[in-house]
Amino acid sequence: MISQLFGAVMLIYLLVAICFLVAELWASPRLQDVGRAMLWLGLGVHTAALIGRWVDNYQVAALHTPAAGLGATLRLIVLHAPLANFYESLIFFAWCLPALGLLAFRRHLRGYLGALIALLSTLLLAYASFGVDSRIKPLMPALKSNWLLVHVVTAFLGYAAFALAFGSAILYLIQERRPRPSLPSLPVLDGLIYRTTVLGFLLLTLGIITGAVWAETAWGRYWSWDPKETWSLITWFIYAALLHARLLKGWHGRRIAWLAVLGFMAVLFTYFGVSFLLSGMHSYLT
Amino acid sequence: MSATRIHAKPKSRLWKTLTSIRLTVFVLLILAAVAVIGTVVPQGQPLNLYLKLYGQGWGELLWGGGFTHVYFSPWFLMPLGLLTLNVCACIVHGLPQAVKRSFRQLSGEAALSLPERGRVTWPADVDPHAAITTVWRRELGPGRRETLGGQEIYLKEQGRFRPLGPYLIHIALLLILAGGVIGKFWGVEGQVALDQGGVASTFHTGPKTTKPLHFQVRLDKFQVAYYGPGSMPKEFRSDLTFLKNGQQVSRATCRVNEPVNFGGLTFYQASYGSEATGPVILKMLQGKQSEDLELPLWRPVELPGGWGKMIAMRVDGNFQGYGPAVLLAYKPSQGKPQVFWALKNHPEFGEQAGLRFLVESIPFAYYSVLQVRRDPGVWWVYTGFLMFLPGLYLAFFRPTERWALVLTKTAQGKWEAR
Repeated sequence: MISQLFGAVMLIYLLVAICFLVAELWASPRLQDVGRAMLWLGLGVHTAALIGRWVDNYQVAALHTPAAGLGATLRLIVLHAPLANFYESLIFFAWCLPALGLLAFRRHLRGYLGALIALLSTLLLAYASFGVDSRIKPLMPALKSNWLLVHVVTAFLGYAAFALAFGSAILYLIQERRPRPSLPSLPVLDGLIYRTTVLGFLLLTLGIITGAVWAETAWGRYWSWDPKETWSLITWFIYAALLHARLLKGWHGRRIAWLAVLGFMAVLFTYFGVSFLLSGMHSYLT
Repeated sequence: MSATRIHAKPKSRLWKTLTSIRLTVFVLLILAAVAVIGTVVPQGQPLNLYLKLYGQGWGELLWGGGFTHVYFSPWFLMPLGLLTLNVCACIVHGLPQAVKRSFRQLSGEAALSLPERGRVTWPADVDPHAAITTVWRRELGPGRRETLGGQEIYLKEQGRFRPLGPYLIHIALLLILAGGVIGKFWGVEGQVALDQGGVASTFHTGPKTTKPLHFQVRLDKFQVAYYGPGSMPKEFRSDLTFLKNGQQVSRATCRVNEPVNFGGLTFYQASYGSEATGPVILKMLQGKQSEDLELPLWRPVELPGGWGKMIAMRVDGNFQGYGPAVLLAYKPSQGKPQVFWALKNHPEFGEQAGLRFLVESIPFAYYSVLQVRRDPGVWWVYTGFLMFLPGLYLAFFRPTERWALVLTKTAQGKWEAR
């Protein structure tokens, strides 16, 4: 039932992407509005589906470990947020993109930029539905921590913000070569890259910090050079370099756009590459 | 920039390099690149693994060059040290200025030198004070008022402490690094392995080195629970008792994510296992015949009737939630050797090449491995983490704004505001 709902969300995002593309090519403001309305609808259904998954998770968990009292019930609810395996991380990542996009881009989330974000979410959902084990599994001991929720939420919101920066950077590079008056102007895109990068940097920092505090309580080490940790640090270094170059060296435009692209490659590797190519303590994701 | 005015004396080239942002970006990218090596080359493994993976030449090069523990090698520590110097130099260079700027309130005099945005004039008979106050309140919120030589100045400033943001972030970074160094030099880390019922008064800090605990710790019971047969583990749990001079002082339960503190040390559930405490007893069934077998661990036993050889290799107290099990290697007199698990509570699985093996008894005891640690650097690191948050907020989400409205009476007796 819930997985069908995610299928529906995937279709809505696909339609949003098509709608934004057509609206851009035909220069139709009305279709842009339709696209945005559908994006809001998709996000609403997506949110409902995530909550549904959470309820399912909770019910399965309550069968194994019946909770006694309000405190225990609350803890069980917090522990079973749909953020505990690869499938759930994909559907949450797919949610973060449009949610953060609407928040950070506001009226700029339309046209090519909107289509790119919607398409990314569609792909993530498609991969989650067709390529990944979606069964609800009980929580392994290492994940039984209140840090799970805040660590995963901050990390993935951070990834999503960097994805938005990447989208703006790609659009910047295209716009620079073949300007289109209907697309956001170069200074606007440059501003969007910067704003989303700052947001992502804050969230990634929070993700690393919460991860370190969690690792300290779970393994007795706040940092153990696990590949996931190391790659998140590499990503952090790249974006730190970007921010320093921009704020103190006055870098703008193309060079910052390329750095944002490079940074997002590191993000993708941190998320997918580390899970599939390298082994480590985050291997329960696969 | 005003910073150059303060350091009017010619700066040395070294100082310029140390405070340069070019160095920062360069070192950050170097660190990223070296860290990549550390995730591609397996870290902290024995030499022969590298020789096997990369061949003689490359393996020895990686080993000798420190790439097998790259985060503790000069390749990483040197740029990290350089980054630390860079950060320190930048703090020394700019912090006094930033502090001075942050604690200097926007004064009337300073307001007069702000760039002019517009000018309004009222007719001579209108007193604009009331109108200005309302509009000011509506647009900018509460502000201050000053009088300076016949001019009335309305002032409002926001984000005055913004210049401190980057310094908070960088001091936080130094605290985290300091915490790491403190942990490295003044921290203790080791492991203690305890059999069920066993008592330890030392722990291992290396393969051959031990340290005294100054107290004793006893493993009363270890339990591993599964969500169900064949499902995931649900809980690893060590029930511990701490003793001083043989006297019981306190009891605690140590689980993953729930470490236990005692005597200045923290105990983490790290690993566990089961050990055979005697020979495994099997019943071998062939048709209606049955024979009892006694299998001590790792000793090949000839099966009666010329059926071949059997070795018990490992016991598990709760194999994937199916209960006690023994890993058997069976080499029939003809045919390929087999390795399989025989489960005590599930006799239906014990069939191999026309023979059935039933487990009669598996004498075993659990042992639990606890990570033992004391790290005085953790609080430095956590302080750094906490400082990061206001630092990032000030630096990125608190833009500095300065507003001033200067109200003057002109020679004609009109009020003019700018």
